[in-house]
Amino acid sequence: MIKLGGRDTDVVLLDENGKRSDGRTVNETRKVTIKAGVLKNANGSAYIEFGENKILAGIYGPRDVHPKHLSNPDTGILRCRYHMSPFSVGDRKNPAPSRREIEISKVIKEALEPAVILDQFPRTVVDIFLEILQADGGTRCAALAAASVALADAGIPMRDMVSACAAGKVADTVILDVNNEEDQAGQADMPMGYMPNLKKITLLQLDGVLTPEEYKKCVEVGIDGCNQVYEIQKKALEEKYFSKGDQ
Amino acid sequence: MSKDKRYVIPGDIITTGPYRPEQNVILDGNKMIATCIGLSDITDGAVRVIPLTGRYIPKGDDLVVGKVISHSAMSWEVDINSCYLGILPASDVFGRDFSSHANDLTEKLSNGDLIAARIVNFDRTRDPLITISGRELGKIDSGELIKISTTKVPRLIGKRGSMIQMIEEATNANITIGQNGIIIASCENPDGLSKAIRAINMIEEDSHRINLTDMVKKMLESSD
Amino acid sequence: MGHNSVIDQLKKNQIIDLLNEGNRLDGRKFDEPRSLTIDTNVIPKAEGSARARLGDTEVVAGVKVQVEKPFPDTGDKGMLICTAEILPIAHPSVETGPPGPPVIELARVVDRGIRESGMIDMKKLVLVENKAVIGIFSDNSVTDHDGNLFDACSYASTAAILSSKIPKYEIKDEVPVLVEGEFTETPITTIPISVTMARIGEHIIVDPNSDEWMIMDARITITTNSDGNIVALQKGGGDGFTYEQLVKCSEISISVGSKIREIIKQSTQGN
Repeated sequence: MIKLGGRDTDVVLLDENGKRSDGRTVNETRKVTIKAGVLKNANGSAYIEFGENKILAGIYGPRDVHPKHLSNPDTGILRCRYHMSPFSVGDRKNPAPSRREIEISKVIKEALEPAVILDQFPRTVVDIFLEILQADGGTRCAALAAASVALADAGIPMRDMVSACAAGKVADTVILDVNNEEDQAGQADMPMGYMPNLKKITLLQLDGVLTPEEYKKCVEVGIDGCNQVYEIQKKALEEKYFSKGDQ
Repeated sequence: MSKDKRYVIPGDIITTGPYRPEQNVILDGNKMIATCIGLSDITDGAVRVIPLTGRYIPKGDDLVVGKVISHSAMSWEVDINSCYLGILPASDVFGRDFSSHANDLTEKLSNGDLIAARIVNFDRTRDPLITISGRELGKIDSGELIKISTTKVPRLIGKRGSMIQMIEEATNANITIGQNGIIIASCENPDGLSKAIRAINMIEEDSHRINLTDMVKKMLESSD
Repeated sequence: MGHNSVIDQLKKNQIIDLLNEGNRLDGRKFDEPRSLTIDTNVIPKAEGSARARLGDTEVVAGVKVQVEKPFPDTGDKGMLICTAEILPIAHPSVETGPPGPPVIELARVVDRGIRESGMIDMKKLVLVENKAVIGIFSDNSVTDHDGNLFDACSYASTAAILSSKIPKYEIKDEVPVLVEGEFTETPITTIPISVTMARIGEHIIVDPNSDEWMIMDARITITTNSDGNIVALQKGGGDGFTYEQLVKCSEISISVGSKIREIIKQSTQGN
């Protein structure tokens, strides 16, 4: 059994060759694929597979706000709902929204607000719906990355994309992209959302214990991960909009 | 592609320097940043992005096709496939002597009716006002409805109307193009109608192709 | 529902005119459902899963298996519960919040159709009689809505259950203990298939899409099992059916049902 500062586990989180429990090195993200424009009815959409995470993002808007008292006469507003399907996790989850889902919805909305430009759409709302079909650690980052692609697919004006990835710590080592096992048994998990061109971090949370040095390293490593995910986001949009041309 | 035109996504830096930011471009320091997916264009000292996706935003004088969805005592609310509902005042149809006691709105237009209308004005502080008094405006009684992206409408119209004229001449169809992406096509000849609809769908699918006009021409001339 | 539920008059008249000529707007025959594609094991971490695409309607169903306390009067039987949620990504008119009556009806009709057919032999799901049984949950998430969610959810759940596996449990001192990595076959006895029909005027059409759904006078969902018997039924909508129409509907549900059963069987083969 190996004690690693998190929960006791008999899974080796980092072996003597620098390999993690799923074979990755400390600076490697899981496999990420994104497809833009996957739903027929939504104004914009994206599907992401981030490791074993499978998430659908759908956008409606800008559109009328109901109830009316939520509408802002000077600008459009963002609404975000992060929701897990009952079959998405090991122990079946009740479909009613949990406090965790409500908090994550808020945090993701605030990660996207600095990027979207809605002052040209007063009295409207842009609704962002994030559906977790299968969860395996880091769903909020994967959902945020998909949301950004779906917003671009819907034509919502944005000053930058928002990318996302988590950094963390296992076996006293800072790692990139924490999976479920590492989240359960590791020492720290730091999800991050990042605008890659404006270089601003718009989502940041921490669960665990970090020294000041480890904290700086985590932020650096997280930014690097976000830049890697940004390349996948670009590819998804290029595939849908730019690759069909004879240019 | 000319070196001034480039595919961009939100956040891309199009260029730096003393340019004017226009449609879908913002200024950050001296950087011109794209705010949507599209084709960037630098002309006459201005930088803009022609969008490839996005909803219709009403503009004064635009012709739109809308669907009546409800009414109050004084006006109809019309779904114009946009972020906002169009408002058609009852006085536009009944005249200035309109009185909510004497005239019943549903006499003229009921829920589900389709209309060809023009945007009167839109300043974002209120829902756009529309009118159906004008030539070729009013209730649409027949035809087939096709929905395309509002960003493809310029391609469907063509330079000075060349594309739509070509389609109408080849098929004898009558096609009403709403700037909001709603198209009504009617034709006495069912083959003409189906060809016209195919042409419209082709333009939406393949709008990026340089030889689109030839592709459409070829399809219209073929006998199947 | 918002303004997305006002159908345009032009299209309504078109649909009715075509029906009177024996045609449907999308070219289908009256007793022809839309094309159905089933992909199984789309959620590998669940005990079973399937994505059903019926025309442009899309549903993902996931099967979760848990140890449950049995219902007090059926201590010798396991549990099977199906639920359904229309996700807000599926259609602009979907509101978030607790499910309203239409969604609750959808879930209960799908649930009854599968459970009442006896699809799963519940007696084989007992671990410790009166204390611990296997509970099978099939949850449907509608991701794209183009009409007829009753059938789409039913097909997704049926395929997910057919391709599911039940974790193995050992009983130690009357307590079930999970045996990691070992599974048993789900005890399937029959394959229930629901067929939903709409009445528009005098015409009965199978698998209405959202345009037809909006103008229909009444609807009926009939579920049949592999023996061709009727195991569940739900009539809905604002108007009624005549006796002759009900008999016709039952016949259609058996013949169309058997074709769909083949599609689902093929898609879950080798699971």
